[in-house]
Amino acid sequence: MRDNIVITSAGIVSALGIGYKSNAEALKNGLSGLRQPQFLNTLHQDLLIGEVCLSNEDLADKLSISSTTVSYTRTGLLAMLAIEELLASLDIAALRKEKLAFINANTVGGMCSVEDMYLHFIADETQGDFVRYIDTLDCAASTKDVTTHFGLNPFTATISTACSSASNALIVGARMITQGLVDKAICGGCDALSRFTVNGFLSLKNVDREACKPFDEHRNGLNLGEGAAFLMLEKEADAIKRGTTILARFSGYNNTNDAYHPTAPSPDGAGALRAMTGALKKANLTTEAIGYINAHGTATINNDAAEGRAIEKLFGANVPFSSTKPFTGHTLAAAGAVEAIFSIMALNGNCIFPNLNYSTPMQELNIAPVTSLMTHQNIQHVLSNSFGFGGNNVSLIFSKA
Amino acid sequence: MEDLKQALKQQIIESLNLQGMKPEDIDDNAPLFGEGLGLDSIDSLELMVLLERNYGIKIEDAREGRKVLSSVQSMAEYIQEHKKA
Amino acid sequence: MMTPVYILSASAISPQNTFDGDGIYETLITSDNLKLFVKEPDYRSYINPVAIRRMSRLIKRGISCGMKALSDAGIKTPDAIITGTGLGSMTDTERFLKDMIALREEALNPTFFIQSTYNSVNGWISLQTQSTGYNQTYVNRGLSTEMSLLDAQLFLQETSEAATVLVGTFDEMTDDYFVVKNKIDYWKKESIPSNEILKHNDTPGTIGGEGAAFFVLANRATKAIAILKGIKMLQQPTSEIIAQEAIQLLQEHGVTWDEIDVVIMGNSGDSRFESLYSNALDCLSANTSLLAFKHLTGEYPTATSFAIWLSIQLFNNQRIPKNTLLQQGTATHYRNILILNHYPLNTASVLLLQEPA
Repeated sequence: MRDNIVITSAGIVSALGIGYKSNAEALKNGLSGLRQPQFLNTLHQDLLIGEVCLSNEDLADKLSISSTTVSYTRTGLLAMLAIEELLASLDIAALRKEKLAFINANTVGGMCSVEDMYLHFIADETQGDFVRYIDTLDCAASTKDVTTHFGLNPFTATISTACSSASNALIVGARMITQGLVDKAICGGCDALSRFTVNGFLSLKNVDREACKPFDEHRNGLNLGEGAAFLMLEKEADAIKRGTTILARFSGYNNTNDAYHPTAPSPDGAGALRAMTGALKKANLTTEAIGYINAHGTATINNDAAEGRAIEKLFGANVPFSSTKPFTGHTLAAAGAVEAIFSIMALNGNCIFPNLNYSTPMQELNIAPVTSLMTHQNIQHVLSNSFGFGGNNVSLIFSKA
Repeated sequence: MEDLKQALKQQIIESLNLQGMKPEDIDDNAPLFGEGLGLDSIDSLELMVLLERNYGIKIEDAREGRKVLSSVQSMAEYIQEHKKA
Repeated sequence: MMTPVYILSASAISPQNTFDGDGIYETLITSDNLKLFVKEPDYRSYINPVAIRRMSRLIKRGISCGMKALSDAGIKTPDAIITGTGLGSMTDTERFLKDMIALREEALNPTFFIQSTYNSVNGWISLQTQSTGYNQTYVNRGLSTEMSLLDAQLFLQETSEAATVLVGTFDEMTDDYFVVKNKIDYWKKESIPSNEILKHNDTPGTIGGEGAAFFVLANRATKAIAILKGIKMLQQPTSEIIAQEAIQLLQEHGVTWDEIDVVIMGNSGDSRFESLYSNALDCLSANTSLLAFKHLTGEYPTATSFAIWLSIQLFNNQRIPKNTLLQQGTATHYRNILILNHYPLNTASVLLLQEPA
């Protein structure tokens, strides 16, 4: 198809490691990245979180940045490291001349730095270390960090729709390419752990003190995580002409709203069902074509009940599904792109990653997630879900090139 | 106990910004959620914050929370049992 | 090049009487403390009474402004809702953050956290209108309005059936925010009344402001009150770049400089940005009237949406509010309006609007 959008490069940083390979290895070996905080300066030291295993100084080192002179926050550093991997296979000089979009997604900007300095921000002082972080609170700060660091001047936009943010970035990028505004789009999201976010979810009482158990009867909430993931989107014809490797086709997507409650999904899963059905329609696929579902599966009481019901209603027990949140924690604005990359790993590795920590079937469901690595699967299409606050639901479909 | 319930009603009105309501409009045994005052799940989280800030009582289990927060009477009884000296 | 889209309705909540009251033609509301705050209307007729209890002012402002635009367009349920904000609810963000620090991460109100989420206004409007279609929120600094409109254009272009999109923007100023941005020279250091800010253009800084504006956009011309022809979004703008992009935008839509009846400019009395529009203004003929608006609203990331709302007042009434006029042109009918706006420190935009035939 003339207008097929394909993915030709990717970059990822998560609690599982830096880069595509180390993330894929950890998933295959069933090694979770959840642990107690080493770098997050929270009083809740007992919480399990999906923290990236590098300090800000080490992140800056990896990027050859002097961490003491610039205003990059951890959010920006994580994004830059993921983008560095994405750009490694590309000719940056050529890229600078192309019609390129950078569609980033984020939920709390540089809050990870701002929260430690906020009292200085609002006090009378005008001098000090805080000044270089003063313009980093909003979501677009990390977008600017990336373009500045890599000397790119693309069309930029920053999306913030809570936990579905990065999935939306992929949709907007695909739409811009399809309609001819740009030739290529780097799409994804980033979020660094912050006390603000951790305490926000604690105030909602949906954080599990132990490792999260998606789709389990005894699930008790989510674990938070951090990370960044980005994918390069372009037209299939362009990719073939360049002779570049095609990781996957981005064959379907849909964004819908629950219109049910500010934070909770509709219990019958109507919103999730609409998102998945719409993505299948866009991809012109039937349910039988889907070989694996990477579920949103946050392990909150509400999400898994709603999403599980919707999956059962649409796919019955015919399609294997799992949540990879027990590996990475919920990486919020990055989650949609992190899991888009995991979906592509499943597609290309013909494998299905396990839903860790599952033991007891949910009363309201007749389906169960995959609990150990399945290999030698014939997977042609993968569906990935991301659902967020404000009822924002997104389903994406990736297909073998 | 009566003083506690009276204080609790005032705190509920303030914490949830129940405009136009007075403590005497809230019946001790009337359900706070659903048909009663029409409160929702976020209100219940706000009431748990109220219990924690004003009475030092922390409820971690959602199911227990629902029981405790079912009426002013049940909240008051729980506070009397668990209030830190 | 984008296909034009049609604007069916517009509503704005601002420091002026734009939402209710006598409008923008008579009264000018001013301030003398470098801050222009929104005149809060009565929100109760726009919001579910059970839900309104917990809402902070920005959330109420956004929902009400959106519901009014929908009701003005006679639309109950839009096919998509796209919002843009530079800051989201600063009040909720600040409150949760300060409580978290003061209370040492214990017993925090979930409401402030939920409402600090940038897409919460969008979620509430979806809920109130039962709109289950596409919904998107941009947090894109000084180009949040522009990106929301561009995405609406993309959405409408992709949809072959008749469709409507509610596009809205909202930002609020808080006292903390003013203090923070003062440290990086957003505001004037000297005290100047808001209505005189444009004249004091020999020093850096401007006045802080806030506002919300919502529009119903459609891919059909029926009942249109304005046509959004095109948008250019610029990073690191210079006077040359703004002029080039304006020239290109006009060319793309077959409009000549002579046909521009009004230019609405975002100049704000800040000496650093005063020359940004000069090259573009050099292209104009005697036909064009020049208008400014930041002395009415103050500076905020989504101020462009106020200029769009103002354009629609001109189309509707064919009359320029005297408080916005910098220079009267010879045109007596206002058909083509060019908006030139910037946001400190590094973005600008050019928009072309047209009166429907």
